[in-house]
Amino acid sequence: MFPNARRDIAFPIVGSIVLFLVLFGGGLLYQTILGNGSAERLVTTMLIDAIIVIGIQIYIGNTGILSFGHIGFGAIAGYVFAVYAISPEEKLKRIPTAPFGLTDTQVSPTVAILIAVAVTVVFAVIVGIGLARSGAQSGSVAATVITLALLFVTHEVAKSWPELTGGNRGGISFGIGESLKGRLPILGLLFAAMLVARLYGQSRSGKLAVAAREDNLAARAMGVNPLVQQMVALLLSVVVVSGGSSLRVWQIGSILPDRFFFDYAMLTLVMLIVGGRNSVTGAVLGVAVMTAARELARRLGQDGFEVFGIGLDGAPLDWVFRENLNSVVLGLAMVAFMIWRPTGILEDWEFDQWLYKTVGRGDEVEPERLTELDSVSETAFVASGINVSFGGFKALTDAGITANGGEIVGIIGPNGAGKTTFVNVITGMVEPQSGVFSIDEENLSGKASFDLSRSGLVRTFQNLRLFGALTVRENIEVASLVASEHRAGRAVRDVDSLMLEAGLWDHRDRRARELDYGNSRRLELARAAAMAPSFMLLDEPTSGMSDSESITMIEQVRHMAATVGAGVIVIDHDLGFITGISDRIYVFDQGEVIADGTPEEVQANPYVQAAYLGSAAIT
Amino acid sequence: MLEVSGLTTAYGAINALRDANLTVGEGEVVGLIGPNGAGKTTLLGSIAGLLPISAGAIHFDGADITSTAPEKILRSGLALVPEHRRIFSDMTVEENLKIGGITTKASERAELLDEMVELFPVLRDKWDTPAGYMSGGEAQQLAIARALMSKPKLIMMDEPSLGLAPILVDLVFELLDTLRSQGRTILVVEQNATRMLEVADRAYVLRSGEVVADGTGRELLERSDLFDTFVGG
Amino acid sequence: MAELLQNLIDGLGRGSIYALLALGVAVVFGIMHLLNFAHGELITIPGYLTYWAFNNGWSWWTVVPLIIVSAVISSLLIERVAFSRVRGAKDFTMLLTSFGVHFIVSAGFLLYIGAAVKPYPRPGWFADTISVGSLNIEVFDLVVIGVTAVVLAATTWLLQRTMFGLALRAAAADFDTARLMGVNSDSVIRGAFALSGLLAGIAGVFWIMREGQVTPTAGINPMLQGVLAALIGGLGSLRGAVLGGLVLGLAEVLLRSWLPVGIQNLTTGFVFVMIALLFIFRPGGLLSVPQVERV
Repeated sequence: MFPNARRDIAFPIVGSIVLFLVLFGGGLLYQTILGNGSAERLVTTMLIDAIIVIGIQIYIGNTGILSFGHIGFGAIAGYVFAVYAISPEEKLKRIPTAPFGLTDTQVSPTVAILIAVAVTVVFAVIVGIGLARSGAQSGSVAATVITLALLFVTHEVAKSWPELTGGNRGGISFGIGESLKGRLPILGLLFAAMLVARLYGQSRSGKLAVAAREDNLAARAMGVNPLVQQMVALLLSVVVVSGGSSLRVWQIGSILPDRFFFDYAMLTLVMLIVGGRNSVTGAVLGVAVMTAARELARRLGQDGFEVFGIGLDGAPLDWVFRENLNSVVLGLAMVAFMIWRPTGILEDWEFDQWLYKTVGRGDEVEPERLTELDSVSETAFVASGINVSFGGFKALTDAGITANGGEIVGIIGPNGAGKTTFVNVITGMVEPQSGVFSIDEENLSGKASFDLSRSGLVRTFQNLRLFGALTVRENIEVASLVASEHRAGRAVRDVDSLMLEAGLWDHRDRRARELDYGNSRRLELARAAAMAPSFMLLDEPTSGMSDSESITMIEQVRHMAATVGAGVIVIDHDLGFITGISDRIYVFDQGEVIADGTPEEVQANPYVQAAYLGSAAIT
Repeated sequence: MLEVSGLTTAYGAINALRDANLTVGEGEVVGLIGPNGAGKTTLLGSIAGLLPISAGAIHFDGADITSTAPEKILRSGLALVPEHRRIFSDMTVEENLKIGGITTKASERAELLDEMVELFPVLRDKWDTPAGYMSGGEAQQLAIARALMSKPKLIMMDEPSLGLAPILVDLVFELLDTLRSQGRTILVVEQNATRMLEVADRAYVLRSGEVVADGTGRELLERSDLFDTFVGG
Repeated sequence: MAELLQNLIDGLGRGSIYALLALGVAVVFGIMHLLNFAHGELITIPGYLTYWAFNNGWSWWTVVPLIIVSAVISSLLIERVAFSRVRGAKDFTMLLTSFGVHFIVSAGFLLYIGAAVKPYPRPGWFADTISVGSLNIEVFDLVVIGVTAVVLAATTWLLQRTMFGLALRAAAADFDTARLMGVNSDSVIRGAFALSGLLAGIAGVFWIMREGQVTPTAGINPMLQGVLAALIGGLGSLRGAVLGGLVLGLAEVLLRSWLPVGIQNLTTGFVFVMIALLFIFRPGGLLSVPQVERV
């Protein structure tokens, strides 16, 4: 579950403790200085908001899907909590005709929270299936609207089912003196939320979800099924949000439909966005910053006040500093951050990971070098009889190749020859009209792309698809995590050693988006190798490289393939590169395989020259 | 007429260009050949203003058009027939052509439409059909006609013969001849190097983002090492 | 039978307003991939102007043009101030920007005018009905349906027959290629927002008449109906948006009449559930636009 105990368990725990102490300590300090009841209430509210915002972060941060619906889940939890925890006498006043005999039921608040969480999780599963069906992925608009609809459904139902909810005006409330007084449950849940969020972020599921957030297509090509990881993130986040929402109801002492609606969704989202949605530290920072900003605005909106002896009299600026200013501040903060810093203050900076890098890692020794494996010669990739046409245009006619284990097979051909279509077919992106492809006689046609890579055919991309926000090491780790589960029986090589072999050791902690071009290409290669593939499919690996870079790439591809004992199928435009690297070459033209053989045979073949230069002489 | 000097796109970008130089004189047909991935499309895209460039300058018709918006470049008389044609497939042939002539006056547009039908008779038969229903060859003619609708001083074409059956490839090269005989200035990216060199007044060979050879079409055709230069074998 | 007919007319009346709103959402989405959560503000702002106008002795004859013009101006203004700065940004960024704009506008009204409901008179003919046989048809519904039909016809003409319409469609289909043809990106985007504002303004006239009052959060419901209708129809499809609006209106009215009396006030909830089911079985909406995955 956790690739590295120190980095992924110990430091997140330490980090959560520090984060918790800073937030709570800051709050305590503030309320001690001011020493009044309203300051105390403000701090309590901030702590509860922090739980809910951290809960939302688990979903939005790790999946990249914008959700308004978490406050809708909060509403469900809040109402379930309320109807279970409130005393029958109070319920008789507000909801005497509640269905399911709920009027007479009462359980302790702790049990009520557990029931609330359980019920909400059931709803989350249903919504999660809907999101998955809609093809949710990072930034998808339809998914966001589904979550928005959830927010409105819960609000609408809460308003128009007064028998259960007390409706829009009455709501349901605890009797005086029964709402939450101490802070212990809040502090406990807050710490638990931080811990869960951080540990999840470092866990296998969290890493795979983030990989899919960064690049859905590439994650699927690395054997990740994003929908599964999104569901895990959703359920975890809903557990935290519904716990926090129950506490919110308990602390306020009552619930009304508008308490869990647009305004609260906006508030929690702004907190998350301002701090940095991709980081738990950011979420906590956002809660603190926005609580402070809103409080400042609220006070300015009153009759002005004193800060450090300087009297701020609102009167001359009365047109700005007035009641409800804090709502405008929220909207302005949102738009301003979207325009100038959409990733938030901290972007994806995480306190415990920074701590780990600075003091926790100690001196890392260079890992051991890997010996090249003997090629597994009995495996074979076979594609045959593949036909694809788009409309009337025949993109592939009876195309096919065979590649044996440990062999490097090149595919060349001019633009429009059908190479790309062929790659799309054997990576599961285009369905052929006919034809099959298989590894070791295991038929792969019709499989989803994440299943293909789990079966041993792992691809790279022509236009580089790395997980930009993840470090070099994490990029490889993602593939390695999938491999250790789905590539049993193959040698899954050590992540650190693979980085060394790929020449990336010195860059191990840099984020992939900061790498230069050559290193990015090497990382893509190493990431594919970490999948312990039977065959690596390299799509234009020298695209954008100079001649000399292409030549060094030959050795790198050979070495990485040998390190994991994989065969290679490589498509490239550069004939020099292809002839230099390949054991055998297939030549595509006009959607057909027009020649195959050793590099020498292919180069000497007049048809190949014709295909490349378009000589009219030979037809 | 068109002068590209020291054009470089961001290092590390896909199909990057390194210090590319190129000129096109008035009335010339200039070919740009090279294997795929060499940066030919990047070069045309950069000239047309679609892609960002990191160094170098582009002058057209005496004006500096480096890093100018594509619509402004078009208005200065430089049109691009993009790779894969990119016709508006849900719009009819007539609508596609009208969009091509959006920068011209309404009266002039009507004349140009007639002119295009004369030049590409096949378009008349499909006048009211969505362009998505056309065959590859027809769509290519539409794409070229659409670009001509803006009355460009120079027209750039990116792989006009791509994905066409051999007989249609012939048609495209005949078309180049026709356009040349009308005195138009043309810059063509072509995969089909030999055919291109036969038609072109001059040509450049691009490989791995660099111009590795240039000369008249004849000169390049007669070079025995053309194949090697071309694919780096 | 008579009841069904009655409901159909009711539903079409309601759906027509949604269709106009959805079309406005779809036009902007088509051109810059922005799902505009601030679309409802194009009704809130004219709503407050309506309130102001009636307090200053205006009548509906002058208020109607005021609503339409102010919706167009607001749409252009919001584009200029906020959306033009996030052009080409990630969908996530644009979604939240529009959400923020919604919040600024509604919070602004809250700040300067207050949370109280601001009423104004409905037009005199609002409650009139015409009896045809056993049917009681609301004049308001007929006007809405009639005006919407004319507006949709005019919009179709605009999109099909004018150079602006061609440019808009071309830019929505392939923005870069449209620019290569000389389509000016600034003008076409502003044009889209103007059209979106115009459609919202016309829908707004009816919405504002029907409500008879305005509050800071008045924009939420029209926004939601417009966005949902656009989604039901299939994001990116203009025909789908109109269809989605009509379907949504009909579904609301028919469901309300079919549901047992006790749970009729849960209609909206049921409509949402139906929409969720639609997305589960047809994720792209009724007229889905195929999304090509590029490698």
